[in-house]
Amino acid sequence: MLRSTINAISTSIEMKEIVESAGTNLPNLFDFSSFGVFWKEDLLLFLYQEESCPPPFTQEVVKNIIKVFSVLGEEPIDEERITLQVENRKLRPKQMVMDPKATLKSHLTLPLVIEEEILGCIALNSDQPNAFDAQDLQFFSVIGYQIAATLKHFQRLSSIKNIAIYDTLTGLYNRRYFEERLGLDAQKSFYGGTPLSLVMADIDHFKKVNDTLGHTEGDRVLFEIANLLKASVRKKDTVARYGGEEFILILPEAGLGEASMIAERIRKLVEGTPFEIANARINLTVSMGISNFPSNRAKSKEELVKMADEALYDAKRGGRNKVCIFTGRSAQ
Amino acid sequence: MAPAVKVDKGGKWSSDLVLDLYSNLLTEIWELVSALIGEAILAFLFTLAIRKLGEKYPFLNSLKVSDDGISLDEAREDCRTVAPIEINRGFQSLINHLSQLFSALAEGVINKELFPKVFPKVKEAERIISQK
Repeated sequence: MLRSTINAISTSIEMKEIVESAGTNLPNLFDFSSFGVFWKEDLLLFLYQEESCPPPFTQEVVKNIIKVFSVLGEEPIDEERITLQVENRKLRPKQMVMDPKATLKSHLTLPLVIEEEILGCIALNSDQPNAFDAQDLQFFSVIGYQIAATLKHFQRLSSIKNIAIYDTLTGLYNRRYFEERLGLDAQKSFYGGTPLSLVMADIDHFKKVNDTLGHTEGDRVLFEIANLLKASVRKKDTVARYGGEEFILILPEAGLGEASMIAERIRKLVEGTPFEIANARINLTVSMGISNFPSNRAKSKEELVKMADEALYDAKRGGRNKVCIFTGRSAQ
Repeated sequence: MAPAVKVDKGGKWSSDLVLDLYSNLLTEIWELVSALIGEAILAFLFTLAIRKLGEKYPFLNSLKVSDDGISLDEAREDCRTVAPIEINRGFQSLINHLSQLFSALAEGVINKELFPKVFPKVKEAERIISQK
């Protein structure tokens, strides 16, 4: 039974599945009221509990996990910040439902430790006193080790994924991710007939910043402008670094009107933000070009990018600090 | 049974003797508890306890903890200038702190296994050292 539990955990591909696999198998190994897995990285606590568990018992379990976690030398965790996911299951026969006033009487809480790093903890909880013995602890620690190893694997995969999709300097999505995302959004838009706008932005006279203040300060400018861009868009939009001082925004379901409004908001925000660089306050501006489906009748995502780029060129040629919309050969 | 007694020329307990005593005790704790919670968690708890007490008893920082166990080899050098009674206090604090951690994690389950085997030896060590 222990072996099949371990196998089920090790082949899980997401956190929820780990808890499900362990939760399904644990009742064959232990008598417990709830089983919890806390993942520090995402402040996520999964509780797999007997369906008759009264809410105060659940709360007590959460508090106990937080308490043990702080005993383990970790920063105190604010209960409010924890995302709690509870899975209620029938773990006991009908005649053994939990007392509505049941309290936490015993627990085993083990840190999930891999390579001297604490990833979280697991807990087995009961409303019965002295519910667990040394053999339970032995089995539970083996399960804990497997969960820790699987979570570590998830963590590694996630950091590889991060490297693959994010720009390390600005924290925005990188060009590769942008291409992929645009592929999906464009397909949805072209086939579904919903609007899609692209905004290409370029920092005006950025070369001068690099040449006069140095590349480190230039990088800081890129980082701060990236933050302004992120703060100015909608939740469903994608902001990516296109290359150098160029950024690109995918605005799904945004017509020309909405795209212009977002771009103009960004232009004004950058223009009105003093950047404190190298003990000086400098003002910067951005130029932007917008393309839109279906207005610009683009037939492919590549064409939509090219159109936004041409509109950006028009904004530059027209004196910078401008937003231009692609309109064929001439831009507005 | 009391451990073999060695007295240095000054008639005092040598640091080495106290270290031998606790080396055996910690090895016993390691073997017993690692069988219950695994080496990785136990090494983590030892490191945590040492970090907590290392400021008060700096020689504890020279204990080497890994998944293979705990080694006092480096601590011997650092303990040459430390009074045996202080070494005793440091190790007692370490064992007490570990016991508190065990209790926080598994209530009485670990200590129930540990106490009958280890606690008398801790008391015995205290008795021998306090004789001087």
